[in-house]
Amino acid sequence: MADRYSFSLTTFSPSGKLVQIEYALNAVNNGVTALGIKATNGIVLATEKKSSSPLIEPHSSSKVALITPNIGMVYSGMGPDYRVLVDRARKVSHTGYKRVYNEYPPTRILVQDVAQVMQAATQSGGVRPYGVSLLIAGWDDGILPEEELEVEVEGEKKKISGKTGGILKGGPSLYQVDPSGSYFPWKATAIGKSATSAKTFLEKRYTEGLELEDAIHIALLTLKETIEGEMNGDTVEIGIVGPPEDGLLGYEGVEGAKGPRFRVLSPQEVEDYLTSL
Amino acid sequence: MEVLLGITGKDYVIIASSKAAMRGPTVLKATDNKTRNLNKNSVMAYSGESGDTVQFAELIQANVQLYSMRNGVALSPPAVSSFVRSELAKSIRSKRPYNVNLLLGGVDPKTGEPSLHWLDYLGTEAKIPYAAHGYAQYYCLSLLDKHHHPDIDLARGLTILRMCSDELKRRLPIDSKGLYVKIVSKEGIKEHVFEDEGQVLPA
Amino acid sequence: MGSPFSMNGGACVAMVGKDCVGIACDLRLGMQALTVSNNFPKIFGINDSVYLGLTGLATDVATVSDLFRFKVNMYRLREERNISPDTFANLVSTSLYERRFGPYFVSPVVAGINQTSGKPFICGFDSIGCIDFAKDFIVSGTASDQLFGMCEGLYEPDLGPDELFETLSQALLSAVDRDALSGWGAHVYIIEKDKVTKRLLKGRQD
Repeated sequence: MADRYSFSLTTFSPSGKLVQIEYALNAVNNGVTALGIKATNGIVLATEKKSSSPLIEPHSSSKVALITPNIGMVYSGMGPDYRVLVDRARKVSHTGYKRVYNEYPPTRILVQDVAQVMQAATQSGGVRPYGVSLLIAGWDDGILPEEELEVEVEGEKKKISGKTGGILKGGPSLYQVDPSGSYFPWKATAIGKSATSAKTFLEKRYTEGLELEDAIHIALLTLKETIEGEMNGDTVEIGIVGPPEDGLLGYEGVEGAKGPRFRVLSPQEVEDYLTSL
Repeated sequence: MEVLLGITGKDYVIIASSKAAMRGPTVLKATDNKTRNLNKNSVMAYSGESGDTVQFAELIQANVQLYSMRNGVALSPPAVSSFVRSELAKSIRSKRPYNVNLLLGGVDPKTGEPSLHWLDYLGTEAKIPYAAHGYAQYYCLSLLDKHHHPDIDLARGLTILRMCSDELKRRLPIDSKGLYVKIVSKEGIKEHVFEDEGQVLPA
Repeated sequence: MGSPFSMNGGACVAMVGKDCVGIACDLRLGMQALTVSNNFPKIFGINDSVYLGLTGLATDVATVSDLFRFKVNMYRLREERNISPDTFANLVSTSLYERRFGPYFVSPVVAGINQTSGKPFICGFDSIGCIDFAKDFIVSGTASDQLFGMCEGLYEPDLGPDELFETLSQALLSAVDRDALSGWGAHVYIIEKDKVTKRLLKGRQD
């Protein structure tokens, strides 16, 4: 009986718009700013961690989440919706990929899966769209954008590069996913309340061939422009995709085992970056 | 003791099936036709458990014709064969599988290329130049190994078929009541009257 | 009837060489002792550098090869890249295990070169997907006992492509001659990083 009256809440307005999705975007645009910058050797995700009261325990909430050892994400918009999506992303990366291929999904595949979850919420019965935009950052093994591989195919020499998104592309990638389920790859971008001004700032500061350390620096500078309260290790949250951290494996001596590339910086580390600003 | 035979030639395929409908050692009918025309350019001959055979053949026939109605083109013999194989492969893992063995002969509607497909009830498929099902395999394949060439003309093909038919009469303990013979060529499917030339005795 | 694995007959073998791998199969299709076809290849190209060999029940050889053609085409469309041999091996394993309590009666062999690392890769499976990673060679089919013997005797590490072809072919041809259910010619693939050579061996036609 229940499913008989279960129709999509997202319906077309006469003008052709899906206003429910626009409302969801409004929720995002009222959210705390989050940003991401892609460097040659990694990616940084950063956001402000606002607490409504000085009495709250600062370590109890986290906004930057690890999805797979090489992929992490941050959001702007509604926190509870985000946590559902983190759960779904972690789950789908295993059920839809690792359990089948015994390896973690490449960033784009994970982004597509998460985007599919968000799109489904715009068409399914009885649900509302997710009130979040996501920034998903990840590193893929393969040929890096600046490397080239020469291959002989039937007597002809061909060059394969990771730049064009060929068969073996690897390296860092940064995606934004919106409530509609659409997604975009970025060099650097921001979402949330001050997204526009942050993006203008990033446009000025971003250069090709940026290193991860510079990117973290720029991320903090950008955040500084938009942040309302004090900036310290407890109010700023940073996630990075960097070199493999074998120390985080929890074991050693296994040949070929590589540590996770994605990790959330500790308040102390954030503090250190802030003092050198 | 059901007999199915198939022989390809230069530009044709001969499909032959025994006329006897049997139940155990009893011959129930001497004019049984174990072939179905699937479309203008392919014929299927079937043997196996009675009931299953006609049921399955008509399922295939109807679906091949439905495909042509929907898409306005005839399926080529290899395409039909692939479809039949997938149906049998599905069936073998079902609660009650079809117990049907098939020969599928035809010519490509565009190129005129003849082809003959051997399929068994498990969904095993092979494209081969000459084929048989049942006991006929043991008596006829060796004959065909010796006499068949890919480019034989129709007269030669029918001569070899006669050799097969004679060998079966000579060796099988039960008379299979003669053969129904169909010839598929670019012109379409023709029924061929295969005269019963009387008793053939072993030496 | 016997085991479904030995109703149709057939043999397949893969070997690792220096910067190359080889995989070979016979061409017979039979029903018990009767030969139905002498042109029934059991090796299927997955992409330019990955090959899949399937022995066992012929209907399942066809079904499983079709299944992986579908799965690999979907992978290529989704990921815009070719599947690597190690990833494909895991796909084979999980796909077979999905049918744990009603398996396909096949013994698959995977051979290929990983285009990212340049490393040769071979492995074999049982019918429910347990992977047998091997450094040297993998055998499967009704002539597997004979193939084990031949490979054990002829194999040496780090063979070049031409020597690998010789070793692989001799191992297969000699093995199938001692198996009544295999033979009737062979297909041999030698896979190098940027080249694949397919050879057809006539073999004994009896």
